[in-house]
Amino acid sequence: MPVPDVKSSWADEVEEEGALPAPSEVINNGMKITTEYRLNEDNKKVKTVRTYKIEKRVVSKNIALRKTWAKYGDSQHDKPGPNPQTTFVSEDVFMQFITNKEEPDKIEEDALDKLRNLGEKGAVKCRTCSGDHWTSRCPYRESKLAMATKDVGKVGGGPVAGGGPAAVEEKPKTTAKYVPPSMRDSTGKRVENLNPRQRDDTLAIRISNLSESTQEADLEDLVKPFGPISKIFLAKDKATGRCKEYAYIHFKNRADAAKAIKHLHGYGYDHLILDVEWSKPSTHNN
Amino acid sequence: MKPLLLQGHQRSITRIKYNREGDLLFSSSKDHKPNVWYSLNGERLGSFNGHQGAVWCIDVNWQSTTFMSGAADNSLKLWDVSTGVEIGHLNTPSSVRTAMFSYSANMAAYSTDNTMGKQCEINIIDVRTVDSSSLDSAPPALRIGVDSAKVTSLLWGPIDETIITGHENGEITAWNLKQGKACNKVKEHHHSINDMQMNKYGTMFVTASKDFTAKLFSTEDLILLKTYKTERPVNSAAISPIKDHVVLGGGQEASEVTTTSTRAGKFDSRFYHMVFEEEFARVKGHFGPINSLAFHPDGKSYASGGEDGYIRLQTFDPSYFDFKFDY
Repeated sequence: MPVPDVKSSWADEVEEEGALPAPSEVINNGMKITTEYRLNEDNKKVKTVRTYKIEKRVVSKNIALRKTWAKYGDSQHDKPGPNPQTTFVSEDVFMQFITNKEEPDKIEEDALDKLRNLGEKGAVKCRTCSGDHWTSRCPYRESKLAMATKDVGKVGGGPVAGGGPAAVEEKPKTTAKYVPPSMRDSTGKRVENLNPRQRDDTLAIRISNLSESTQEADLEDLVKPFGPISKIFLAKDKATGRCKEYAYIHFKNRADAAKAIKHLHGYGYDHLILDVEWSKPSTHNN
Repeated sequence: MKPLLLQGHQRSITRIKYNREGDLLFSSSKDHKPNVWYSLNGERLGSFNGHQGAVWCIDVNWQSTTFMSGAADNSLKLWDVSTGVEIGHLNTPSSVRTAMFSYSANMAAYSTDNTMGKQCEINIIDVRTVDSSSLDSAPPALRIGVDSAKVTSLLWGPIDETIITGHENGEITAWNLKQGKACNKVKEHHHSINDMQMNKYGTMFVTASKDFTAKLFSTEDLILLKTYKTERPVNSAAISPIKDHVVLGGGQEASEVTTTSTRAGKFDSRFYHMVFEEEFARVKGHFGPINSLAFHPDGKSYASGGEDGYIRLQTFDPSYFDFKFDY
């Protein structure tokens, strides 16, 4: 495939203001980058950059032969490679697994049952008749008793009118303080500092200035001698799969982590000198 | 997964099909040009230009050299896959609804609609000596008139001895080709059978019916094995070549789509466990009903074509392969 010359300096681009720059195509280390220019509705220049990954696959002779066929029909004038007019990469779609579809429903029912049971145990008090049920379920709701107590409340106007405020006061005693779902443990009690990442961070070290070709296994070999490890995170480039030159190691013990820092900081590894320090808690976490 | 979106058709997709190796994906739509794509990167190899009506059915032979398409312009055409040139043309009395090569691809079967006062017919033709003139003039090897409901889907049975047809009234018929008559008939569906697809070994096939179900039958004696129930018409169903999974596609009828939202339409591909008949996963994507589904022969990806005119090529995430069905 011919590769057009793309060495255009910013000065050149300014000069040809009226005309659109020619589309370009660059192929380098397994990636094809095409750049196209067009004018949008507001007559403004729009630059479109598309990045393709070039892969080589070993296939049978027949398939390889079919790959060499010239395009025909409506695709006759298409260049090699997918035509962006007909082939898009659409947004991420996930397979939704639905085996446990019925379980959440059950839990909801359980919660309702619990409330009902609570009512029977006397945790709930009716505001109209002071019985062991919710006010809305009171059998005397429509009866005179209810009307009477309401009237008393209005006429008397005292601080403790009717059963209403009494019931309100009672509630906090029986039910615990509200706990947001994110802070609850399995039994519904409040748990402090549930976020495991935060806990981990004090035991984590950051290794930077790693070489690009570092693999997770290499890293493991490097830090294993210092003590048990709970997690290794090696930052990688999504597109190329190469290391982004830093990694986080979570140790099980702080002493081991300290030891690792002491020994590895300034250690020559793969022609580079490592920079090892305590992991700083990320700022956007909280 | 990031699906590849193939937009080569102007109108709704009618049928999609992989070739035997799975490197090519053929598609037809109600616009008049069937397309062929490289399934790996979604690149379009070309289109087969020549039909003058909606293309209802397509098939490719096992060597991927010849491609066949039947259309509503009362014609069946054969094409060279490597160049996209028409190599055979056959005029039919009415529109061609289904067509399929036999396994050897020496023969092909097609069926025509019972419209315009014409009878629905199943024809078997010899496609070995195909060239534009002789195909049309030579009489078919076998012609079977169908008096009852018209044929809406068609399959070749094992070792090219029988063909199995699904009908508009939900019947499934097996035809013995040596005797030229029906040898078995079952009626397990009560609405039109939109699609039938074999499993990898040809021992079972799955039907997709407008009566909201898909059913699994044995090829040998048409015994109903399993039923997969949904709430919408099923337009297409396919069996995974590597797992005990069946994928169903369908949705609200095209004519009712505009009156319902996409959420209510249920345009997802739905994955069922083949044995337990239970749905375990869904994949969203289309804006209209799915008209045709096909598994890649390696089972690692699948394609769906919808009423919205798009073909979506979906490669499964590792989570699909790690998934264990609870039972």
